[in-house]
Amino acid sequence: MPPATGQIVPAAPPRPLPAAALRQQARLLAGLLALASLTTACAPPHPAGTLIVASKARIDSLDPAQASRSGQMQVLSALGDPLYAIATDGTIEPRLASGPPLLSADGLRARIPLRKGVQFHDGTPFDAAAMVFSLKRFMAIGTLGYQFSDRVKAVRATGSHEIELELKAPFSPLSRLLSAIFLTPVSPTAYRTHTDKPLNDRFVGTGPYRLAFFNGQQQRLTPFQDYWGARPANGGIDLVTLSNSTALLGALRSGEVDVLLANGVEIDHQQALHRDAAAGRLREGSGPPLSIGFFSLLTDQPPLNNPLLRQALARSLDRATITQRVSLGMRPPLRQLIPPSLPGSDPEAWPTYDPAAARALYRQAGYCNGKVFGLPLTFRSDIPTDRLLALTWQAQVRRDLGDCLELQVSGMESTTAYDQLGKGALTLFFYDWIGDYPDPENFLTPLLGCEKVEANRCAKGNSALSGSFWSAPGLDAELLRSSRIDGPERERLLRAIQRRTATAVPYLPVWLMAEQAWSGRRISAPQFDGSGRLRLDQLRRLPGPPATLAASPGGPEARR
Amino acid sequence: MSRRSDLLRYLGARLALAPLMLWLISSLVFLLLRVAPGDPIDALLGPKAPAAARAALRQQLGLDQPLLVQYGHFLGDLLHGNLGVSQASKEPVTTIIQGSLPASLELGLVALLIAAVLGLAVGFSGIARPEGKVDLAGRLFGIGTYALPPFWAAMVVQLVFAVWLGWLPVGGRLPATVLPPEGSGFYLLDSLRAGNDQQFLGALRHLVLPASTLGLLLSGIFTNALRLNLRRALSSDYVEAARSRGLSETRVVLRHALPNALLPVLTITGITVASLIGGALLIEVTYSWPGIAFRLQEAIAQRDYPLVQGIVVVVAALVVLVTVAVDLLVALLDPRVRF
Repeated sequence: MPPATGQIVPAAPPRPLPAAALRQQARLLAGLLALASLTTACAPPHPAGTLIVASKARIDSLDPAQASRSGQMQVLSALGDPLYAIATDGTIEPRLASGPPLLSADGLRARIPLRKGVQFHDGTPFDAAAMVFSLKRFMAIGTLGYQFSDRVKAVRATGSHEIELELKAPFSPLSRLLSAIFLTPVSPTAYRTHTDKPLNDRFVGTGPYRLAFFNGQQQRLTPFQDYWGARPANGGIDLVTLSNSTALLGALRSGEVDVLLANGVEIDHQQALHRDAAAGRLREGSGPPLSIGFFSLLTDQPPLNNPLLRQALARSLDRATITQRVSLGMRPPLRQLIPPSLPGSDPEAWPTYDPAAARALYRQAGYCNGKVFGLPLTFRSDIPTDRLLALTWQAQVRRDLGDCLELQVSGMESTTAYDQLGKGALTLFFYDWIGDYPDPENFLTPLLGCEKVEANRCAKGNSALSGSFWSAPGLDAELLRSSRIDGPERERLLRAIQRRTATAVPYLPVWLMAEQAWSGRRISAPQFDGSGRLRLDQLRRLPGPPATLAASPGGPEARR
Repeated sequence: MSRRSDLLRYLGARLALAPLMLWLISSLVFLLLRVAPGDPIDALLGPKAPAAARAALRQQLGLDQPLLVQYGHFLGDLLHGNLGVSQASKEPVTTIIQGSLPASLELGLVALLIAAVLGLAVGFSGIARPEGKVDLAGRLFGIGTYALPPFWAAMVVQLVFAVWLGWLPVGGRLPATVLPPEGSGFYLLDSLRAGNDQQFLGALRHLVLPASTLGLLLSGIFTNALRLNLRRALSSDYVEAARSRGLSETRVVLRHALPNALLPVLTITGITVASLIGGALLIEVTYSWPGIAFRLQEAIAQRDYPLVQGIVVVVAALVVLVTVAVDLLVALLDPRVRF
């Protein structure tokens, strides 16, 4: 009879099992282990000449109309050509254009001659009609379509290999805008049925590589035999996505991948790779620093509506210590909003670290004498470096100005924070910005532009979206003018705008960031173009002895 | 009423309730996504796109419409089997799920196999000498593997076997130099069917670490469940009766105690399978495994409403089906179960 519910059943005395059953289990486990070890011996061969490049960026689409993230732009830069390209020294050189834009006297029309003898990957010729098709398609469905359509009213072909852009207003950085890879032409034949919708899993352009395979985690690029320019130095590229920093670091060190892009690699891992490179175990390459990290200060609400406090804060930031502690100096300190490689750079626009001056300003604002100014600082919780930065500044302030200022640090997930930023909910927020194309206009306007100014407050526009809500009389007109003039006059105006902004401190620049990449010892050092994209076509396997895995103090070295 | 008709009635009731449950889940997800802070436009365009561009994209995605209108469209599409289009990639949600669900299922099933074999073997091994050294070790194994934080265990395994020893790949489903096989999305099966050794071995090598880690972490549940149930079964009256009839201990254990001890394990297996359908997020993230959980995490970060909703609905439907199937299987195997 079965026991009633809740009745305790006395345990039966143990009876030994025959050893045969245990031996059977042992054999099963041994079999599993043997299978596992068999698989380890079966690594697939590495095709000669091809290279594996890893990054964290998952690619959802290779349609230039869908491109908005750096990972997509990186792949597109190998598959397509822009009209112009920015060289490493900052000069602009024609790519699919055969010369610089020819501007009309009023600056409202730009004629662009196109290169002849260029073919798309599907064998169709590149001409003015194809370029017009691509630009119109981008204006219609491009995620970043506003970058182009805000400046260009119409596009038309004026010859078999010449196009004309009708501008809404004179726009001096036109060549720089046309260097954006999202404006790369696509074959009208291949995109015939996708004029009004994206084509995610294919790309038919004119670049040095053609797309042989695509999914979100893996893309295979093979050299395009009929490319008009110099042939790639390698036999092809396999791009792979690994989802976390440890995996990326491990993959390069174990030799599983040949090249690693810094995108998604945590700062301490970047430091480890940097040390490996310094010790000769890896090769390292950096692009021009085109990304800025900065604090946005909410200037239209207490407490930071008080300019004294903002100026005090600007003098409370010890950039040298912070960048050294947080990034081991890999991110140089920044005291302006424009990256130094661009025109209008003013490296000393923002005040330097000066605790004595800061203390005097805090005192003037009524703090320090037994009254500590408590300031909430928000960082993006999903970006480990931001947290480090916030905590380091908090500690530095406690050490140097503890009787005047207390930073109350808290984290918030990026997407939520961006949403809150535009609503004026974040008093002091750290984030970063990289322009869609390298021009000062793409750094100042997104931060300072304003559609509706009320006194010194921006009620609507970029400045509000950026969380500062700061503006000044005539500032928007100056920004507009800076995009219409060129040369030294433009540089002077850009510097003046920066100085004016620095005085009001709606933003607090902290550091500069550059794209970086590392390659194994048997691979050439990574090189970047002036737009900060890794030159995949320049990577090549170096001649040398066959691959061996050698132990090293920093961990196993690259096998190739 | 006969047992068979009871069973059919039970099955009918469970299946009839499924649409209601799915509607509740999908409505809840729809609402929670919109209530949660964060804007898909920020995720797509970044925080500094001009207001006009933001408004245009909002209109293009239908996010400018009143919530009720959006909900009406969502339900209407759902009833027609249309899960919508991803806001981020503009790909149909069904296509994205078809691409990532098999990855999670392949990982989950192999991990489950490892967990069951390992867990049951360890759980069974202590039976020879209860409270002996082997039994104690088994108990520790059961508790230890269950208590291990998955992200930590996965990272340690990855560091040791992939980075330091270099025996196995650090992540992904296939070597970068091997293209995925065509077919169902289950790479092992697809490559076997295609007879492509390189793909098969590549997929197997990439599966070893994530599946072993997940299997190891799940095995403790099986160890403890079998250990406890087998001990209880071995002390029951029917086992004593079998022993008193002079049957050998092996026969008593294997023929009488074990089948009964495995019934609760079957239920646990069902629950584990159901939980694995939604993917093992930490394992997938650590090993860059492009499964459904990884995709869901990305979609949440991007506030990709249609994709999050689609994944949740599909996973919920599968979980309902699996739990019903397990209930039925247990009922068929155990005549004591009543509805």
